[in-house]
Amino acid sequence: MNHLSPDELVLSYYGEPGLGAGRAEHLQQCDVCRDELASLSVFLDRVTPAEVEEPAGDYEARTWDRLQWRLRGQRRTSGTWKTWLAAAAMIALAFLGGALWKSSTRRVVTSSSVATTTTAPSVDPAAHQLAESKSRDRVLLVVVGEHMGQSERVLIELTNLTASGSTDITTERDRAQDLLASNRLYRTSALQRGEESVATLLDELEPVLLQIAHAPDQVSAEELRAIQKRVEAKGLVFKLRVVRADVDRDTAASTRPTNI
Amino acid sequence: MEATDLELVERVRSGDDEGFRLLVERHSRGIYRAAYRITGNAADADDVVQETFLRAYRALGRFDGRASFPTWLHRIAINGSLDLIDARKRREGKINDGEDLSLLPSSHATPDRVMHGMEMQRAVARAMERLTGNERTAFVLRHFEGMPLEDIGKVLGTQLNATKNTVFRAVKKLRAHLQPYTGSLV
Repeated sequence: MNHLSPDELVLSYYGEPGLGAGRAEHLQQCDVCRDELASLSVFLDRVTPAEVEEPAGDYEARTWDRLQWRLRGQRRTSGTWKTWLAAAAMIALAFLGGALWKSSTRRVVTSSSVATTTTAPSVDPAAHQLAESKSRDRVLLVVVGEHMGQSERVLIELTNLTASGSTDITTERDRAQDLLASNRLYRTSALQRGEESVATLLDELEPVLLQIAHAPDQVSAEELRAIQKRVEAKGLVFKLRVVRADVDRDTAASTRPTNI
Repeated sequence: MEATDLELVERVRSGDDEGFRLLVERHSRGIYRAAYRITGNAADADDVVQETFLRAYRALGRFDGRASFPTWLHRIAINGSLDLIDARKRREGKINDGEDLSLLPSSHATPDRVMHGMEMQRAVARAMERLTGNERTAFVLRHFEGMPLEDIGKVLGTQLNATKNTVFRAVKKLRAHLQPYTGSLV
């Protein structure tokens, strides 16, 4: 019989079910596998949690102090803040774009200055344009990646709910309302930049977010099942993961220094 | 006699915010510790605590008591921690971009010394940072908190096999990253 795979050894170390009687028996009898398990155990036993930096003794009271203001603020502004969300997202996008554009421009100017030692420093418009375009792409990737992660978690939370009686989905609904505003913005930006897979996914996501955003405080079991079916039928959680992984790779690539 | 979590939840539902203050005071430190293990620093853990209680307050009507109140809070905190890790990694551009030179042991650190010292713990912390959010969470929950894989799947929204694979990947990566520290002993 084959020896246990590294994955089976991990299951065995944690005492998780699923190893199978034959494999457990093999482990009992096989010196090689027992040695491997012992080696893994020595390693994992050494992986202890990092020491937590304990907060001050009055942490609980301070936490409540800060929290109660936010709870009050939330009640007072709940009717209007969503209206400002899209605008805030636009401003943040513009600000980040501007900041990154400036930083890229500064790098371009510096390298131009070094290269042209006999003439006054000049700025190459093409390099400017490229730097600006790269900065915008990076900003878009960062915010879209975050947006997808948050959307994914809202959908996961909803699909994890048990559909019985009436269920309060106000938290997910509120988050879906936030996400809906930004979803439209990012879809438009993705389309403009030719990011078709991103735009398509955001397009598929929008009606689901819309459905959740317009749900009542309490949804019946039937309504909840309808939302869950819609999410599952479209395979949205999986698609979000796949596209988000691509976005992550692109984001990492866009921040990696290039050899010129 | 001290009120139970469920009694306090009922008080909040009936409009008594004092009940929520008691819940915050009772559980904020535990949530902070869990968030710290996932996010790896005090400031982020503190942000997660704030967001967790804010979300919990808004969703309290949905708490049905099937899971214990701390378990329910932990689940919110883990999702919040993942949001935060994702956001931080993207902003810093540190997304699975391969090996980190800082993981290599310092020249004066011999395996014998580091295994028994703080350096191993720091190496573990740095290696954990190299995991994806899901890998780190799955590993923290399985290895440090002793949560069964099936329950971890519920937190992450993944099927059992995918959850297993997430933990396997985390162990494999940690073993590879920490090999310079543990090589002579395992």
